[in-house]
Amino acid sequence: MSRPLARRAFLGGALATTAAAGCARPRRWERTAVRQTERARVAILQAAGYDDRLVEVVRRGVRLFALGVAGKRVVLKPNFVEFDPGGVVNTHPALVAAAIEAFRREGARQVVVAEGPGHHRDTEHLLTASGLYPVLRATRTRYADLNTDDARPVPVASHYTGLDHLYLPETILSADLLVSMPKLKTHHWAGVTLSMKNMFGCIPGSIYGFPKNVLHWAGIPESIVDINSTLPVRRFAIVDGIVGMEGNGPIQGEARRCGVVVFGEDPVAVDATAARLMTIDPRQVGYLAEAGRFLGHLAEERIDQIGEPLDGLRQDFRVLPSFAGLKRFA
Amino acid sequence: MMLPQTAALLAGQNGDGGWPTYGDRVSNTEATSLATLALARLEGGAERAAAARGVHWLLACQNADGSWPLNRRMAAGSWTTALATLTLASLERDRAKALRGARWLLRQRPRTPGVVASLARRLAPYAPAVTLDPHLKGWAWTAAASGFVEPTAYAVLALKKLREHLPGTHVAERIDEAERMIDDRTCREGGWNYGNSTVLGADLWPYADVTALTLLALADRRGRPENRRGVAALRRMLEHVDSGLTLAWAALCLSAHDEDATPLLTRLCRAWERTRFLGDTRSIALALLAMSDGARWIAP
Repeated sequence: MSRPLARRAFLGGALATTAAAGCARPRRWERTAVRQTERARVAILQAAGYDDRLVEVVRRGVRLFALGVAGKRVVLKPNFVEFDPGGVVNTHPALVAAAIEAFRREGARQVVVAEGPGHHRDTEHLLTASGLYPVLRATRTRYADLNTDDARPVPVASHYTGLDHLYLPETILSADLLVSMPKLKTHHWAGVTLSMKNMFGCIPGSIYGFPKNVLHWAGIPESIVDINSTLPVRRFAIVDGIVGMEGNGPIQGEARRCGVVVFGEDPVAVDATAARLMTIDPRQVGYLAEAGRFLGHLAEERIDQIGEPLDGLRQDFRVLPSFAGLKRFA
Repeated sequence: MMLPQTAALLAGQNGDGGWPTYGDRVSNTEATSLATLALARLEGGAERAAAARGVHWLLACQNADGSWPLNRRMAAGSWTTALATLTLASLERDRAKALRGARWLLRQRPRTPGVVASLARRLAPYAPAVTLDPHLKGWAWTAAASGFVEPTAYAVLALKKLREHLPGTHVAERIDEAERMIDDRTCREGGWNYGNSTVLGADLWPYADVTALTLLALADRRGRPENRRGVAALRRMLEHVDSGLTLAWAALCLSAHDEDATPLLTRLCRAWERTRFLGDTRSIALALLAMSDGARWIAP
């Protein structure tokens, strides 16, 4: 089974190879996987709570990026991994409702909500208990269960897991824009779970098992990089940081109010910014450090903050002792 | 009069005779097995005809090695082999094909930790990430993965249906080991989730649907304290869950444990009115099975 994997362990194989060869760290991705642009833009917008004003916050965030979604098919991928009546495990349904409304107002032809919960096969229970079902019903929005969706194999564009291909759901592959909507959380295996880790939910459980066990054997950080490099669709992220989770995330941690929503097209830059909001050094998160080599920008100086400035919004999120290294800023 | 769930199943059958899990998707073995199982025992020409087409789909999809793929687009044998085998065995149809499915199941071994991990576990048993015994073999969701509770429960259900037709002690040994594996993964308060009772020292909570399914697979041992504890845990969980899938599995489970499932059937009807089970073929089929006293066809 997987163990918490620090950056050092994650990169160990690559560094050993490098030392032996006496050259730069080897490239482990196909040219098609490179998504890094000259600079990245991320927007942190403040949001007081999960109320009616959220639609305008999301709309403002979406408009900052001129996504051009008119006439397009938008798939929202929130994080609904588990239900805990007293917890803050999932993306808040009010944020999902706000995103549905915002993209419709921007002229999207269709907005679909899709998720492949990692633990639960009882989708109806998860949706009704978490409060997402009333949102879907009230907004007359289609929901796609990615665990059972039709899927087809897509060649893996980077080579960290050793998997040749990943089966990806048709709902995802047919999207014009895939919007990752994670909760701002710490994670007891990966360090943090944000827009990139949230893509685990795109992997069909009927094929890969529950909780996506094949990927656990292949390595969680490694799988995060391979999934994100392989998804062949345009991406956007909206991170629910209004109330996040610290400590033993992604399920059994404690609520932490941050009062922000983070937006961006570069998943690495969005997650790096979200990590910094938790006072976690993204360079210490193994999969983020590796993704920062080709998938997007990690370095603060390469990320233009076009919303609120980071300073003043940081919260000191508690992490498990095994991840204490994430709090040491180099 | 035809039940609305029956009508929904008939309407949801694909042209190839199988069923998708949702709407306009391709037929798959899980949904087709459960829908076929639910319709086959009902009176009525349309129901019987639909079930016959479902059986035909299953028979046509079986791989040469006895396994079933998830669907026709995928070749590899999958965890759904247990469900297809259970369906054919329960309907007493094509026993030879069902037995080939059972023999494929008996050949499957979940992935276990390597030598280094096993050694580390022996040297430092106090600090594991998870507390389960990884060497107790059940069944995995897929090749090259660990054993988990739900696929193990499906396999146990299928093998118990056919064990009298499988000579030798191998089947008894696998069932016995699977039951020990299931017991090993019981959550602290009773019941089961996908397969981990604790992670990094923290207790994980059980799921009602998995608990009900697992207890159904253990129904031939209903007198055991472990079963009674599981049923008690299930009853507690049912106070907070109102979905079609869970209520249907729970009704089947309680019937198989000689307990009154009538209140659950009432709740099942109310849940149907609220959500139509989101159109999930599995939930609809299991609900129909529960409402037609289906436990006796599938429980050991």
